[in-house]
Amino acid sequence: MTKTTGLNHYVKYGLILLLSISLILLTQGIKLLKYGGGAPINSTAIMGLFTLWLFSMIGIFITDIIKKANIPVLRSFPILGWVSITSLVMCLIFDFFVTAIQAVDFLSITTPILTFAGISVADRLVDLRKTSWKVAIVAVFVFIGTYLASALLAQFGLMISGN
Amino acid sequence: MKRDFWYLIVFAVMIIFAAEWIGFQSITIGAITITLLPLVFAILLTMVLGMSVFRKGIMKKVYSKANIGFASQYLIFIMLPLMARYGADVAPRIKDILQVGWVFIIQDLGNLGTVLIGLPIAVLLGLRREAIGATLGIGREGELAYISEKYTLESKEGRGVLSLYIIGTLFGALFFSVFAPILLDLGFRPEALAMAAGVGSSSMMTGASSTLVARLPEMEETILSYAAASQLLTSFLGTFTMIFLAVPLQKFMYKLLVRGDES
Repeated sequence: MTKTTGLNHYVKYGLILLLSISLILLTQGIKLLKYGGGAPINSTAIMGLFTLWLFSMIGIFITDIIKKANIPVLRSFPILGWVSITSLVMCLIFDFFVTAIQAVDFLSITTPILTFAGISVADRLVDLRKTSWKVAIVAVFVFIGTYLASALLAQFGLMISGN
Repeated sequence: MKRDFWYLIVFAVMIIFAAEWIGFQSITIGAITITLLPLVFAILLTMVLGMSVFRKGIMKKVYSKANIGFASQYLIFIMLPLMARYGADVAPRIKDILQVGWVFIIQDLGNLGTVLIGLPIAVLLGLRREAIGATLGIGREGELAYISEKYTLESKEGRGVLSLYIIGTLFGALFFSVFAPILLDLGFRPEALAMAAGVGSSSMMTGASSTLVARLPEMEETILSYAAASQLLTSFLGTFTMIFLAVPLQKFMYKLLVRGDES
């Protein structure tokens, strides 16, 4: 993924993750300032943020190990997936992690991410000129297609299972 | 650390402030309510301000090559805490989820909807080989890898999948954050819409599930856990669904649709 090797790049990832959780804390703070109520910033929320940091780091380690071990089926499994699985397993074992992580407001996690997502595509807006309006229309139907078909199947399945 | 980098951080903080201050906005058109979340304003603001007309003076430093490079190279790491959060949402609900586990698997086949609905539209619009790349899936890394291996990215198929990749990257999260609640207003169950949100792209899943949470805050845990579990399943099964189901289905439908076509 990067040119740097060894411990050095883990320090880098650690710092980027620290930036990420700091921005989440900031967002949660802004929400508190604006609405008064909502998810408070207390020691549980802070511990939740550090738990998110820790699980992300573990996920990065696991991805690296799997890549080195060269396991064919698992190699293409994304780092995002490993972090979710790490967190899921840890949360199943220790209830404490669930309480801590859920003290972090969900929507406060999303705003900083989309801020960076917007910046990251800044130079790709010009690429839009290379795509035709026809493909743009097709894209709308492709997105509708996958979501609607899944939603219909899920709705149907839940109905049958009596849930 | 370069000085430009601090411009990026300060800029990001300001955008977050602005987006959160605009807050939740909803537009009601008839029976349908479109909910716009702070995350929508965050991506709109950063995309619009990044256009070349605005890149003057200090904005040129914010949107420097190094900063845009940083954002795109490390976006995935900035997203990791979100993925860790999803684990904590799934854990307390794991029993419910496993109980309706087969529904999760069945709805994953809905990913074939890209071919079923997208391909006829594409052919109708006059697209041929581009349609193969553009409708195989939602144009994420999996499809990109498959198409580039089979046809190369310079081919028409390759151009199709690349176009979809670009459109999805720019507008995917926005699209799903608007589309999911529309289906809610049309009478779909929130559980079904949450499951369907696991389309295989984390940002699109977040777009869909976040607006659902904003509309139904009392169901936050159910929505997030279903969406995350479905997303995980798609990450596992996605490649297999594509190769063993989407590709043959697409081949079959394509032949049928372009029958008697001389091109």
